[in-house]
Amino acid sequence: MIGLETNRRSSRIFLWIALAVVLVAYGFPFLYLTLTSFKTPLDAIAVPPTVFPSEWTLENYVTALSKDGVIPALVNSVVTAVLSTGFSLVLAVPAAYAITRYKTVPGQVFVVAALVTRMVPTIAIGAPLVETMRTLGISDTSLALAIAHTTISLPLSIWLMASFFEAVPDELEEAAKVDGASRLGALWRVVLPVVSGGLAVTAIFAFLASWNEFLFSLLLTSVRAQTTPIVIANFQTQFGLDWGGMTALAAIYSIPVILLTLALQRHIVAGLTLGAVKG
Amino acid sequence: MRTSDRRFALWLMAPAAAFLAAFVLWPLIRFVSNSFFEISPMAGGPREFVGFDNFADALASPAFQGASARTLLYTVIVVSLEFAFGLAIALIFASLGERSAVFRTLFMYPLMIAPVVAGLLWRFLLIDNFGIVNELLQNAGILNQASDIGWLSDPDIALFAVALPDVWLTTSFITLVLFAGLQNVPGDIIEAAKLDGARFHTLLFRIIIPLLRPVIAVALIVRGIDAARAFDIILIQTNGGPQESTTTLSLLIYRTMTRYGDPGLASAMGTMFLIAMLIVATFAIYAIWRPGSDK
Repeated sequence: MIGLETNRRSSRIFLWIALAVVLVAYGFPFLYLTLTSFKTPLDAIAVPPTVFPSEWTLENYVTALSKDGVIPALVNSVVTAVLSTGFSLVLAVPAAYAITRYKTVPGQVFVVAALVTRMVPTIAIGAPLVETMRTLGISDTSLALAIAHTTISLPLSIWLMASFFEAVPDELEEAAKVDGASRLGALWRVVLPVVSGGLAVTAIFAFLASWNEFLFSLLLTSVRAQTTPIVIANFQTQFGLDWGGMTALAAIYSIPVILLTLALQRHIVAGLTLGAVKG
Repeated sequence: MRTSDRRFALWLMAPAAAFLAAFVLWPLIRFVSNSFFEISPMAGGPREFVGFDNFADALASPAFQGASARTLLYTVIVVSLEFAFGLAIALIFASLGERSAVFRTLFMYPLMIAPVVAGLLWRFLLIDNFGIVNELLQNAGILNQASDIGWLSDPDIALFAVALPDVWLTTSFITLVLFAGLQNVPGDIIEAAKLDGARFHTLLFRIIIPLLRPVIAVALIVRGIDAARAFDIILIQTNGGPQESTTTLSLLIYRTMTRYGDPGLASAMGTMFLIAMLIVATFAIYAIWRPGSDK
């Protein structure tokens, strides 16, 4: 380990207290959101506010889900995120493999392009993309939005997958080729199974990028393809200030992501820290 | 490398390259070129080449100057608070060693939450009349009345208040990255310094931070870029108000394009924003990271 660990009882107690304060401060907002979603609509905006519901109810969930466009928006979010994750993986995996296996100039260009893409303000490509989608005849569809979301997740996916391929020893494919596999066959049957953990990480990040994205969704959808973040943002104008309903929908929207995190936490930490620590 | 290998590699990269060219590079070229035109907001409307007029208009407009300053201030607030909290928490985790594993997992959750949800949530926490934060401050005796601080309605502090959910949401990222970086710091260096009687701040500023330099650089650059582009988190809390006090560049550009219907001017603002980001990031990479100099 790193030699920072302390064995003095007094400092350990101090550290645990500090950690408890941090966790309360960080956990409280989300706890409060969840508790509010179970309050009655009047209770949710009571003055002075209370932390716990005086009466537990699912009313907010029922009203939120029964509002026009909420269920379709949840469906759109899933469809868009799944499509975009698929596009990202299909495009990123071969590219990342080529970048790590064969050191070519286009490969290096890709790595720089991935960095530069991160710096582009979303609005700068969002507005022209609206026209592109109109030209392609796919305005206001999940397909168009998934393509837009892939512009965010693809560079990150290439970067992540390249780091995972880097860790695979060359000998593995050489052996497969000696056994008669083609280059593509070696990638598909030998290398990909080895990096399945890395594929999972990349898929999660592509999914999250699309699931949480807002500005492209706002620019590129109007009615049919609208995703949930836009509906959440519209709650305040369209339905007055329905805090109960908003908190319920926000809680619903966070559930799949929290489950995903629980199931795949180790992979997520690996993905978050991989590129950054390697510098 | 065999020639066929090179061709094989190119074939593998071609789809991703074509995608980025079509959906990133081409829109970007169009966006930048739009900045030289006076464009009618209607689709297919007239375009007139005006040279650098849009740039001059943008630079001369108080709205653009204000939004640029606010974007800079917002980014500095967010990144410095996140770095301070993130480093402190990473050090707590490191000092507790493996015992902190469960807490590290719990601490990861904010990272997964949509910014729009975080913005909404904090607006709810900070709202003037029935927000829980002011209620808690009143109960703690810090405020006389729960309505004494209008977090999101007082133009003097709104920019700080809208930064809170961003800090809440992504301190975890800095913590995780720094914690992982700390794992790679050789233990014997720290042990040796401790044996020499180094105090904590000496240890921190002379040994830990210099050794973490590349990791810190990457974390700060990534977060700085994202904070500068923040849009949803501010839009949902204040929509740029009160009195434009939270209108950052992304919001101003969005509004100039859609509500005020001036795509040319919006593109000029966006182009300058993009160039500024590239310059700052390039400078930051060289100044903080200094590739090779620590080796």
